[in-house]
Order: sequence, then C-alpha cells, then structure tokens
Amino acid sequence: MPVADLAPGAAAPTVSPTAPAFRQFPVAWRFALRNQSRNRLAWLLLVAFVPAWYLLMLAITGHTTLTFRLFATGRVLTVDGGHLTLITAGLNSVTIIVGFAIFAAIRRTLAFDKRLVFAGYRQATLIAAKTSAIAIVAAAVAAFTSLALLAFWRPSLSGWLAILAAFIVIALGYGAFGLFLGVLVRSDLEGFFLIIMGGLMDTFLQNPLGNPLANNPVLEWFPSFGPTQFAVGGSLGHTALWGHLALGLAWPAAFAAAGLVIFWIRTRTRVHAR
Amino acid sequence: MNETVLRARQVRKAYRRHQVLRGVDLAVRPGQLVAVVGENGAGKSTLLKILAGTLAADGGQVRLAGTLGYCPQDPVLNDNLTAAQHLRYFAAARRLPSLHRADELVRRLGYEQSRDQTAGELSGGTRQKLNLTLALLHDPDILLLDEPYQGFDWETYLRFWDLVADLRARRKAIVIITHLVFEQDRFDLLADLADGHLTPRERSGKDDHARS
Repeated sequence: MPVADLAPGAAAPTVSPTAPAFRQFPVAWRFALRNQSRNRLAWLLLVAFVPAWYLLMLAITGHTTLTFRLFATGRVLTVDGGHLTLITAGLNSVTIIVGFAIFAAIRRTLAFDKRLVFAGYRQATLIAAKTSAIAIVAAAVAAFTSLALLAFWRPSLSGWLAILAAFIVIALGYGAFGLFLGVLVRSDLEGFFLIIMGGLMDTFLQNPLGNPLANNPVLEWFPSFGPTQFAVGGSLGHTALWGHLALGLAWPAAFAAAGLVIFWIRTRTRVHAR
Repeated sequence: MNETVLRARQVRKAYRRHQVLRGVDLAVRPGQLVAVVGENGAGKSTLLKILAGTLAADGGQVRLAGTLGYCPQDPVLNDNLTAAQHLRYFAAARRLPSLHRADELVRRLGYEQSRDQTAGELSGGTRQKLNLTLALLHDPDILLLDEPYQGFDWETYLRFWDLVADLRARRKAIVIITHLVFEQDRFDLLADLADGHLTPRERSGKDDHARS
C-alpha cells in the first residue's frame, strides 16, 4: 500500500531537531537498565535462590571424591565432587535468573518499544541500549553468584576468577537466549519453560557426577560446554582454556544476533515517508 | 476547501476470511474534527491503526500531509517507568528541545501529582491521560485518537474537550473513534463504520466548533 507524505518520526514544525533536550542513547540506556532492575522476583531469586541452591546441591552430593577425564584437555582429574557440583549449581542458577529476568523485561516492553520506534526512536539506538543493559545485568548476576560461591568453597584466586569468567559468559549466553525468546514466543509460559528446562539440561548434563557420559562429544554443542570446561579447568585442573571460553561467547553472539533481527522486524514501523 | 491533511482511499483489510474494511474513504481538512462511530467489532480500531501506519492494509491508499500523533485504545506504557520518565523517553524519541509542551499537557489534563508514580501504579484514568499526552507531545498536525477518554472522570472529560477546542483553533486535524452518541454535536463530521464502509452521517444541526 503506497503511503506518502507521512514521516512518523519527524519533528513538529515548531521544533528544532538540532537541539534535543534528551539524547536518545543515554535515555534509552538508563531506562532499559531501570526496567531490568525493577524485576523483584529476579532479585529474590538472586538473593535467596542462589545460596539455597548451592546449599541443597552440596548437601545432596557431599564431598565425594570423583575421578573423571576433563573433555577439553583429556587429562584425568581427581577432584572433590562437591566442588564440581557447586560450579554446576552456580552455572545453573545464572542460566535461570538471567534468562528469566531478560526474557520478562524484553517481552513486556515489546509493544512499548514499538511505540517508541513509531515516535521516532532509532531502532539501532534502542537495540544498542538494550544489549548493553542486558550485558550489565548478566555480569552483575554472574558476579553475585561467584561471590556467593565463596561461602561454600574457597578456590584459589585464579580458580575463582576462572569461575567468575565462566559465569559471566554463561550469563551473557542466557541473557541473549532470554532476549531471543522474549521477541519470539507468544506466551510467558513457553519462555519460562524453555529457559528453565534448557538451563537444567544444559548445565547438569555437563557434570560427570550427575551424568556419567559427561564426556560425550554431543555435549560440545551445548551453550554451557565452553564455560563449564573453562571453570573446571581453571579452578580444579590448573589450566586456562581460553579457546573454550571464547567458544562459550559464540552462543550469546548467535542468540543476540537472531533476537535483535526479530526485534528489529517486530518493532519497525510499516509506514515510510514518501 | 480541497486542502486535506489526511486522505484515505479504498482502504481494505481482512483478518483471514473476515473482511473488516471493504473500501473505506475518508478526507480530513486542517481544523476539522471527525468522529468514526460503529458497533463493537466494526473495524474502527483497525481503520485507525491503518491510518496511523501501525497496521498494514490489504489494499488502498493513505496519504497524510504533516506530523502525526496516534493514541491507541489500550495505553501502551512501560509499567516500570514513572509518568515523568515516559515524557522524557518520548521527548527523546521526538527529539524535542524541551518538555514545555509535556508539562502543559500534564497540567491541563490534571495529573501533576502522579508524575513520579510508575505507570503500573497509576489508575486506569491516569494511564489513559499519559497515553494521550504521549500522542500529543510533539504537537502533531494530525491526531488519531482511539476512544481517548475511556476511564476519564467528568472533570477530565471536560478538560479533554477544552484541549480539543485549542487544537482545532490551531487548525489541527483530529479523528476520534467514539461510541458515545450524545456528544455528536461536538464534531464537524460523524461517519458510521458499518459493513466495512464508512458513511458520513446526515447532520441536522449546524457546525458547532466552539462548543466544549
């Protein structure tokens, strides 16, 4: 349908477009961050669920000695199974909390974002603001989860930093997954189910304590493979598996790219000037 | 009198096999106040969305000359942001140099005391006021308002018509979806949307622009 002479984003005649009172990126960035941080359930999950999950998982597995072959290096490691489970529990907590928080925030504001674009917001600006807000939230949740781990286990500093890095990467992965689902699925239930089940399957299948076949090559194709290998290698195997950490970053890149393309399609305005 | 700022020709829209709009024509001049009336499900909101450009039509043409403000029927707000933050967000979207107009609209619609409440905490009527403010923020030439006074109390309702009178005096074109028959004297043109066609209603009264 040809539509002419309509510029929905154009300024009113009395307005000078060169002197905006509010620049688009800082406003969008601040409000995206505020929107993310207003999810009370996510805060509650972070503060209460993370320590409870660590405690529960440790109580179930205990400190059994576990011998297994680290997939990435091929080396056989003999470790405290409880420590390995804490890493898995932390990764799992991060997937659920970040995935849920980002999914909820993105999904609930999609119509509002469309209205902003219709009013003249540049889509690229909104996308950049949202992406950076997601990265900050993901890193903050990962940092808290890594700090909470110290109440149950004191690895070496380098080991803890490896766990922190792994948690940040998995948080980015599930933040991007939440974004992807937030713009894609039609109901809250679908999104929550996919995030919770996806996160559980993904992280627990990587743990040789829960899954004796944790060295099955198919696990390489799971989002938490790279971060798990990096965290275990760094904290229990004295190895820095940078390639695996980088592999873990491929997932957030892929999910974010797909999610942002769908966001761009779903928020674009159908009317074009002239 | 051929000057029009909004012209729709033969607009058609179907949802699956259900033909909602079967060739709607509409022309609106600057300063003209038009009501689109019709039963529930007649396609009023669909028509307004197509005029606004938020929904694609199956066929026909819409031409607008000037800036556009569209107020959707259900307030599209972010429940986590305050009313004041909404104003800043849309001022940034419109690249406005100040919030003068926003402040004036908030004052005229009478919800200054709710500026720092989040949209999720606002009453239905105040949400609708904010929804309307966002559509008027950039002082557009053409206004498309989908039942804009839903949930308004009587005083706000009268304030709304004061605002409309000002807009008309400044030659803004306004299309309002309404189903309140008792206010028909307020409009320059009433058009019935029925069976997918928009038909101007015969008027017995005179033009009554000043009434508010």
